[in-house]
Amino acid sequence: MITKDRLFKFLLALAVFAAADLWIYSTLRNSIRSSANAERTKQLSLLALGVPDNPEYIEQWLGGVEQSIEGGAAVYLRYSADDPELYDTLAVNEDALGLWQSIERTPDAEKGLEAAYYLEQYASTVALEYKGQKARVFYAPKPDEEGIELLGIAIFIVPEAAGGNLERLLGIFALGAFVFFAALTGIAKLLRDQIVGYAVLVLTLLAGVFIVFPLGEAFRLSFLKDGAYSLDVWTRSLSGSSLKALWGSIRLGLWTASCSTIVGFVFAFAIYRTSMRGKRFLSAIAQLPVISPPFSLTLSIILLAGNNGLITKQLFGLQNFSIYGLSGLVIVQTIGMFPIAFLTLASVLQALDSTLEEAALDLNASRWKVFSTVTLPLAVPGILSAWLLVFTNSLADFANPLLLAGNYRVLSVEAYIQVTGRNDLGGGAALSLLLLLPTLTAFFVQRNWVAKRSFITVTGKPNAKLVEIASPMVRRSLSVAVWAATAFIISLYGTIVAGCFVKNWGIDYSFTLSNISEALSRGGEAIRSTVTLAAAATPIAGILAMAAAMIFVRKSFVGKRALEALMMTPFAVPGTLLGIAYILAFNKTPLLLVGTGAIIVINYVIRELPVGIEGGVASLRQIDPSIEEAARDLGADESMVFRSIVLPLIRPAFITSMSYTFVRSMTAVSAVIFLISARWYHMTVLIYNFSENLRFGLASVLATTLIIIVMSAFGLMRLLVRDSGALDKTITR
Amino acid sequence: MAKNPVAVTLDRVTRIYKNVKGRPDVVAVRDSSFEVSPGELVTLLGPSGCGKTTTLRMIAGFDLPSSGSIRIGGEDVSMLPPNKRDTATVFQSYGLFPHMNVAQNVAYGLRIRKVGKTESDERVKRALSLTGLQDYAERAPGRLSGGQQQRVALARSLVVEPGVLLLDEPLSNLDALLREQMRVEIRRIQKSLGITAVYVTHDRVEAMSLSDRVIVMKDGSIRQIGSPNAIYEDPDSVFVAGFVGKVAFFPVDVLGLEGKGCVCQLQGKKVQAGKMAPGVEAGKKGTLMARPESLRIGEPGAGVVDGSVRQNVYLGSSMESFIDTEYGELLVQIDDPAGKKIAPEGQRVSISFNEAQVRVLPTDNG
Repeated sequence: MITKDRLFKFLLALAVFAAADLWIYSTLRNSIRSSANAERTKQLSLLALGVPDNPEYIEQWLGGVEQSIEGGAAVYLRYSADDPELYDTLAVNEDALGLWQSIERTPDAEKGLEAAYYLEQYASTVALEYKGQKARVFYAPKPDEEGIELLGIAIFIVPEAAGGNLERLLGIFALGAFVFFAALTGIAKLLRDQIVGYAVLVLTLLAGVFIVFPLGEAFRLSFLKDGAYSLDVWTRSLSGSSLKALWGSIRLGLWTASCSTIVGFVFAFAIYRTSMRGKRFLSAIAQLPVISPPFSLTLSIILLAGNNGLITKQLFGLQNFSIYGLSGLVIVQTIGMFPIAFLTLASVLQALDSTLEEAALDLNASRWKVFSTVTLPLAVPGILSAWLLVFTNSLADFANPLLLAGNYRVLSVEAYIQVTGRNDLGGGAALSLLLLLPTLTAFFVQRNWVAKRSFITVTGKPNAKLVEIASPMVRRSLSVAVWAATAFIISLYGTIVAGCFVKNWGIDYSFTLSNISEALSRGGEAIRSTVTLAAAATPIAGILAMAAAMIFVRKSFVGKRALEALMMTPFAVPGTLLGIAYILAFNKTPLLLVGTGAIIVINYVIRELPVGIEGGVASLRQIDPSIEEAARDLGADESMVFRSIVLPLIRPAFITSMSYTFVRSMTAVSAVIFLISARWYHMTVLIYNFSENLRFGLASVLATTLIIIVMSAFGLMRLLVRDSGALDKTITR
Repeated sequence: MAKNPVAVTLDRVTRIYKNVKGRPDVVAVRDSSFEVSPGELVTLLGPSGCGKTTTLRMIAGFDLPSSGSIRIGGEDVSMLPPNKRDTATVFQSYGLFPHMNVAQNVAYGLRIRKVGKTESDERVKRALSLTGLQDYAERAPGRLSGGQQQRVALARSLVVEPGVLLLDEPLSNLDALLREQMRVEIRRIQKSLGITAVYVTHDRVEAMSLSDRVIVMKDGSIRQIGSPNAIYEDPDSVFVAGFVGKVAFFPVDVLGLEGKGCVCQLQGKKVQAGKMAPGVEAGKKGTLMARPESLRIGEPGAGVVDGSVRQNVYLGSSMESFIDTEYGELLVQIDDPAGKKIAPEGQRVSISFNEAQVRVLPTDNG
């Protein structure tokens, strides 16, 4: 709480710190400057000593100076041997000459000339402008061989920026220290809820440094060309080929979203609205692709239907068939993403009250009529939601097109090629920013419009008994379709496993174990670093997500909604963009992180936080606030309440968020592919490399390994949250 | 289980909720002052939205006053967080920790206070037996009935020996019979421990039956403070009179003051009122209040107000007679009806007042 006394103490502390900070800063800056100046003066004196005696070579020397001082220039005053007052002004550069003539008569220049006249150097303290940059002038004498007589004066124009980088860094640190101190003392002196203050501070810092800053950098750099602002990158990006890629992404998204929604609806309807057998198994299989690593489905499609595919070549002997391109991509993406639609629609159809259908049947509507006038209309918001979610995912997808696009062009891959192939970071940033437009639109339409239009909340208590509206024939055909799709999915995974044991897929199908040993020896390091990084990110993301959820649900503070929205953005930002943004933002001081494992861990945490926060928020909303109040009331402070009450109660959400982070980090590719280094490699990228080099056996082994690790993580989670059902019931009253 | 009880003092406490988005500020509690003496049980009574729960939450520390001060045992705690205050709250929804069993729930406050294991076990046991829960120590709270959960919450608050016990509508989630039992029990425990308690409820019977004093609130302001029978028999305003019990009101002209009471006129008939509230003046309008038990039924023309019997409701020890009059339907309570002659439904009757018990209130004070 703010009282005059506290405010006064706070401001006093700030003032003291500011004074100390400023003092340290200016002292360090001056010492940097003076040492830079001394260095410069020495260098320039030596340069001046090198002025050739033969006047004919002086112009050449002047040209040389422009080479050795970047962005600088020199003017040489050659004194006549007869009259010590007369000199010729020599210059090779109009700008330099102009600058010198404009200052020649100023007192500062006269001081410089006088110093040089007595064979001393002089560094002017007047800041000038040279070619649009801040610059300073140095005066250096050129004595004769004996060092007695003055032959001429070299006047150097040196851009200021040369010593500025270190100074800028110092400035950032000084300012950063002040802001940090101000925030910390502000919280300690002025807030009642200090823990919340610190938590908000940490989250704001995280969001600022690792979300806003990199995305801002990506945006800024897409407007830069050779250090100057220009629209060049964007005009290039909005030209024919990139627009074609944008359209390619959207077209793929439209197809995949539509196919996935249909498949997902059929699965959800068959499982939750009919009395079909094997529902649990079907439901488990339908969720399998969500956690399967990238490239694995693509890999298996290539093994089955690629140029040397088992089905295409061996079975049918097709020569001209190509799985690469739009149709192949739609197939792979649909298999990979229909689970998203399935899960969305499953919750809708599950919650849909059977009584409504029963009532319609009772009013003598036919089964088809019931489906088309009751069931389907009620599911429309869910269907739209599912469609938009898949659409967003398809657009952001990077792994599948990377392997399978062939000549078909999509933005995420174009951006990657722009960065890695052409080393054009700005162009890559622009392309991935282009991708942000449709994904963000779909994301917000889904969030703010479709999700709010759900009918589910209106229907009240669902009827426990299922009224089946599908006729036996419809049920049978649904059953066939669903089981066929399931068989296909299983066969895809089977293919990957089979790929591990085949010598040379497509050519030599003999059994071998050599793939396994080779893959594990070549990929062992990658496996270790992948697991290490994912394991490092897991607890950080879990705890941060729960703490963030806690303050978002239970506390109120200024800017809460903004911070909440900010923490959620990485969810809607394509990984490609985030990856490019990170290399743009963190490849320079003071945050030189590219190449370290830390940047990968940070990237994982930032990307997976939104889902963890959502889970935590949902589970906290279920908990009666008076439970926490009771603990507070009995003497527990904020952190004790969090540890002893909140965390145990939201344990299911906590563990789910951690296992989610682990699995997603293990199977990451779109952002991490930009951030890996020789030291910190990622299995998925290795799978990609092996596939690109047609070493399908090795790729299969790694993919299988990854699947096993991910499945074990999920199994472990299931084990840990199994007893949470009983807990859930007592939390809410 | 109780240490020396402490006093709670509120001094001109106001709580304003600022509404940022152009809506007007809401004054939840306005300029409230009162004192709870050591060992006393005081009830905050009022309709929902009157500020009683906000007041309690400010005493507990979950809410902070916008102005004014709160002292507990002489110490100004206005700005202290809840964990630094010597209070323990029994919540309306109990707020039991679902991941701990009954004994762990009760021991939580002792754990926070780093009380040793032997002492803690001993105190938990005593608290459980005081609340009749000794057989449920190992149960999960989710597997207890509402009344038992209520007792756990009470035990959990009592075990830490708080200076002040705060109860926020603790009985509102229980059924009627259980509510009556718990009411008696809470009062018994509070009295035996001599603990200072502040109790919030909107149920007037609850307030009457267990408080030393009642504070009636409306729209964020305190309307009257007094013992239960003072509040019931001698309310100072129409609102308090109506809120704490069944009552009939009659508009009267005050003719003159007379000792503790006054003489007034009801439609030309002179009525003697034995009591009056502050603010009643001769020559002004007033409101005469009569409780059902201070009305009498007599022969037509004999009383002050004529009417006819609409319905008689037999309740055993008493009978309620609803009479249609020009002032609306009046309720007359007839005690011990067995030996009395009861006017049958439909008969014309006249109602007179027990003049010593009726009270005149100033009109126009809400």
